[in-house]
Amino acid sequence: MSGINANIGISIIMTAILYGTPLVFAGIGELFAERSGVLNLGVEGMMLMGAVMAFLVSQRLPGPGWLVLLVAVLVGMAISALMALIHAFVSITLRANQIVSGLTLTIFAGVIGLSSYIAEDNGIGGKAGKHQFSDLNLFGLKNLPVIGPVLFHQSAMVYVSWLLVVGAVLYLYRTRIGLYLRSVGESPQAADAMGVSVTRYRYLHTLAGGALAGAGGSLFTLQIATNWIDGLTAGAGWIAIALVIYSFWRPELLIVGAYLYGAFTSVGFDLQARGITSIPSEFWSALPYLMTIIALVLVSVGSVRMRLGTPAGLGIPYVRGES
Amino acid sequence: MIRFVARENVPRWLTFAVPLASVVLAAIVAGIVLAATGHNPLTTYRHIVQASITQPGAFSQTLVSMTPLMFTGLAAAVAFRMRLWNIGAEGQLYWGAIGASGAGLLFHGLPGPLLIAVMLAVGLLAGMLWASIPGVLRAYFNTNEILTTLMLNYVAANLMYYLIFDSTSYWRDLTSPSARVFPQGKNLPAAANWPALQVGSLTIPFGLLFAIGLAMLLWGMIRATRYGFEMRVLADSPSVGKYAGIRTRRKILSLMALSGGIAGLGGASQVGDFSHVLDPRGLEQAGFGYTGIVVAALARYNPFAVVVTSFFIGMLVNAGFALQGPGFPVGLTGTMEGILLFCVLGAEIFTRYRIAVRLPHRPAAAPPVEARPAVPHGGMS
Amino acid sequence: MRNDPTMANGQPAFPPGGTPVPDRAVEAPGDAGIAAAMAARGITKRFPGVVANSRVEFEVLPGEIHALLGENGAGKTTLCNVLTGLYRPEEGYVELGGEPCRFHSPRDAHEAGIFMVHQHFSLVGPLTVAENVILGWSRQSGMWFSPRRVEREVARVAEQFQMAIDPGAKIWQLSVGEQQRVEILKALYRRARILVLDEPTTVLTPQEVRQLFSTLRGMAAAGTSVVFISHKLPEVLAVSDRVTVLRAGQAVGTVRTADADARSLAHLMVGRDIVLTRRERAARNHLGEAVLGLDDVNAKGDLGTPALTGVSLRVQAGEILGVAGVAGNGQRELAEVVAGERPGTSGTVTIAGRPQRGTPWEAIHAGLGYVPEERLGVGIAPGMTIADNLMLKSYREAGHGPVLHTKQALQNAAESIKRFDIVARGPKTLARELSGGNIQRLLLARELSGHPKILIAASPTRGLDVAATDSVRKILAQSAEHGVGVLLISEDLDEILDLSDRIAVMYRGRVVGVVDRDDADLDRIGLMMAGVES
Repeated sequence: MSGINANIGISIIMTAILYGTPLVFAGIGELFAERSGVLNLGVEGMMLMGAVMAFLVSQRLPGPGWLVLLVAVLVGMAISALMALIHAFVSITLRANQIVSGLTLTIFAGVIGLSSYIAEDNGIGGKAGKHQFSDLNLFGLKNLPVIGPVLFHQSAMVYVSWLLVVGAVLYLYRTRIGLYLRSVGESPQAADAMGVSVTRYRYLHTLAGGALAGAGGSLFTLQIATNWIDGLTAGAGWIAIALVIYSFWRPELLIVGAYLYGAFTSVGFDLQARGITSIPSEFWSALPYLMTIIALVLVSVGSVRMRLGTPAGLGIPYVRGES
Repeated sequence: MIRFVARENVPRWLTFAVPLASVVLAAIVAGIVLAATGHNPLTTYRHIVQASITQPGAFSQTLVSMTPLMFTGLAAAVAFRMRLWNIGAEGQLYWGAIGASGAGLLFHGLPGPLLIAVMLAVGLLAGMLWASIPGVLRAYFNTNEILTTLMLNYVAANLMYYLIFDSTSYWRDLTSPSARVFPQGKNLPAAANWPALQVGSLTIPFGLLFAIGLAMLLWGMIRATRYGFEMRVLADSPSVGKYAGIRTRRKILSLMALSGGIAGLGGASQVGDFSHVLDPRGLEQAGFGYTGIVVAALARYNPFAVVVTSFFIGMLVNAGFALQGPGFPVGLTGTMEGILLFCVLGAEIFTRYRIAVRLPHRPAAAPPVEARPAVPHGGMS
Repeated sequence: MRNDPTMANGQPAFPPGGTPVPDRAVEAPGDAGIAAAMAARGITKRFPGVVANSRVEFEVLPGEIHALLGENGAGKTTLCNVLTGLYRPEEGYVELGGEPCRFHSPRDAHEAGIFMVHQHFSLVGPLTVAENVILGWSRQSGMWFSPRRVEREVARVAEQFQMAIDPGAKIWQLSVGEQQRVEILKALYRRARILVLDEPTTVLTPQEVRQLFSTLRGMAAAGTSVVFISHKLPEVLAVSDRVTVLRAGQAVGTVRTADADARSLAHLMVGRDIVLTRRERAARNHLGEAVLGLDDVNAKGDLGTPALTGVSLRVQAGEILGVAGVAGNGQRELAEVVAGERPGTSGTVTIAGRPQRGTPWEAIHAGLGYVPEERLGVGIAPGMTIADNLMLKSYREAGHGPVLHTKQALQNAAESIKRFDIVARGPKTLARELSGGNIQRLLLARELSGHPKILIAASPTRGLDVAATDSVRKILAQSAEHGVGVLLISEDLDEILDLSDRIAVMYRGRVVGVVDRDDADLDRIGLMMAGVES
């Protein structure tokens, strides 16, 4: 591989990771929620709330950079979890339709809702961000050929996301609680009969999903863009939801899908930057969404085995037989 | 221990009281949110009413805001009722606008009424075709329509932008002086302006009247036709539909197409009634399709109720425009819509269930023993 | 089954070919010093509109197999749901080892060592046997879960009780009998003191029934108490030590099985000499043409395995052909193929002379009426009104072109309600507010008003009380008199024998024999059902 090709390859990988990491966070979060049987379509709204709150904190909080960023992300996560709590309460306890409730959350918190409201009320739109995540130099190894930048020159959140994926796999398949979670999603009746609290698992994992969506959202204002624009996630939340489906609810596949998306997002910008303008920019903007549709069709055309991946209890409110 | 207990019979007054109570609750919650962020709730509400009804010209403006919401609300209601989650009304409306504006430009020689009919027809068709894509995918491949319709919204938006901002398409204005400075669409000829009904100082757009007629038509269809009957069966229980010999896949496709077509009509109305030009930026910022979902959900998917709820949301949207500024941030509209819908959604359980507080060591009071044995259900559909 | 091969002279015999189990000591009720392992004291449980249990007293001794006998609707399942923590009683309490206790959920009962195997299993399909067994078990040590270690543990417990099961198999791959074994394993793994089984033999082949009884005897010998809910006398007599009979929510007597016989128990169960409608065999020359024909039909089941093999049947107008067999031998698939809901892989189905291509639409048009096994949610739309449900098959002709005649429909509904004795407030009542018996009557009303040529009735009286059962039987008999051909599919052999003209027996997707009702030899039918003879 000549030096130039290697550089292009590395640059694609780096941008893939950059744009893909928010999807990893939000996707794993939604994966947890759906594994417990709760469909949360409010991811886009929750990501925006995470983004705006994290940005607000980073603009207003004094202190050393790393501390501000940490608090900003935590606040973003907490607020998004609160959003998820609304959805959880309305759809689990009050048994409203999960799809409509999730959509309501997106409208409530989304581009014409609370996130923009908070942004405007606090006047943070359009201002440059004070603190941003920068790439670390892990173990001082960032200059190794090829794997150096990819493995050792990432921002802290990227490393957290890798730990998250590994942790998620271990959690689901090698812990007792993960086993119980899977049973709650597949058959709430069976889990309930065996003494596993369906309600508690659903609440906890929906909140976790919200928190992780908030973490993903915060990356938009703290790393990818350097300021706030209303609705800047531009559908990333929806793509995260799609990712969960065609990773068959498996974290190890989800991260691959997220990075694929990241790569596609950057290819468009890349080609434009190199002056290849024969393909209009709108095509590149539309490409991730078209890709999603194709992937969804492929998944549903597949065999019965594929459908066995869906948690059987997904989207259905659970009521124990007794009145 | 607090539990939900199924009611034995559902009194009719409850089906009115619960939504009403939830609206009141929403007003209180929104008031709290406003107060917590430093705005006076009562003043804000007063401003909303003024800006949407009482001030001169406000009511007409509210009707303007209401019109597209009726279309997208009906589109969502028709589909959601059957548990077909068509979130693509946004994109289907865009296509309706593209189609109707193209038709308006192309057939400018036709007499007024005929031109309007053509615009309506093309808008309908464009929306139907766009919705048929996810419709086919869902009906024949069982692909999740939530995501496909949504993704197509983004694709449709990009297409609209391409037509006006990035190409030399038929829709783009390439000649007028202002167009050389900033890309914009061709203005439609005057013949393509849809008429409006003047009642006193009130201006009622043609699209609004059309939409009301459409609502009545849909209501009649659902209640009293074979098509509507099949739709209701499938909405209640798809397995019963299969058993009864209803062709489920065709039904799904036709309902998605119908829903898309209605949204497309909304796009045609936007062009014909109001903008008279293809305006991607305006359409995208307005988000009629998404707001239509709120309208439909508040109306519990009943076509007549959609007329009512679209009026109230139209009030909110109109007030949002008129009052834009520090006292009324842009995001307030969506926030209030969200609060309202959450309250209505959450309160619904109370129509079929009541709260039973069971204290330990005390047996629950015995209900009167009736003649028929009832079997307790496990799980809710 | 009337003649249980495991019975000899009314005394329960050891299972032929099974490992001999040690004699267990049978304690008489009230023997001094023997405390009940578990007891129900004055349990009353009410649901909207019905009293399911009324001041029931019930005791289970350690190490005994205690049968709970009663008809459908007697309250057996409800009582056990109270005993195992699923329901809370309005009055009375549960006693454990002499101490009153209160269960707030099944989990509390599990902690006390009480487990129940319901008719519908609580198993998670995609998970393995071992994973299902340890599900929710808080006494499991630690956070980590090693599939291999758990499988070894489960295998050990299974071996201890001589149960053949593969701990690594996924639940959806198992047969119903094997799944039931997993349910029992769950209890054994947690060292259950008391195991309750609700009608466990309905889904088992005769082989599996024998295995089950052997397992239960082994458990009882090891000191576990077993409560065995059943409405089948022969089984109760074969396996239990004592029997408590419930009737209409009340406990009417407890006897030692050794002292009881079929007739006395039946009398306790029913309380009167009830005679259900028995139909006269239709005269052969009164029968009409064939209204249903199956020729060498093959079909696949849900999991791709063959469900029907070479099935050939004929039903004439005015005749009732009963299809007997243990559940799960292809009866459901047979009904679905005839109704057009399941495609056959080969062979032809002919309805009223018209060969079927395999759609429900076509079958309905050719003159098929179908009362499915699953009523609410397949045959009846729960959220729609009675009137709408009655229109479900006829709405295509019930109007002027696309518009429906709603007024006419309401009138017709009111008539049907009267004619079929449906208890409801009116034609606009929602179907889900009706009781089981009324839903069945509604189904029959609709199917019969379409003047079908052939009616499939699948398990038409399952879960109904005696009165409803009788009225359904009458309706079926009458429709045959009016020239309708009836394909009666039922697990209840008594019903088939009482109503049919001819009886076909299904085993493993094949029709292993067709006998005339007059020539029906019960033993032979039983053997055919068990796959022994053809």
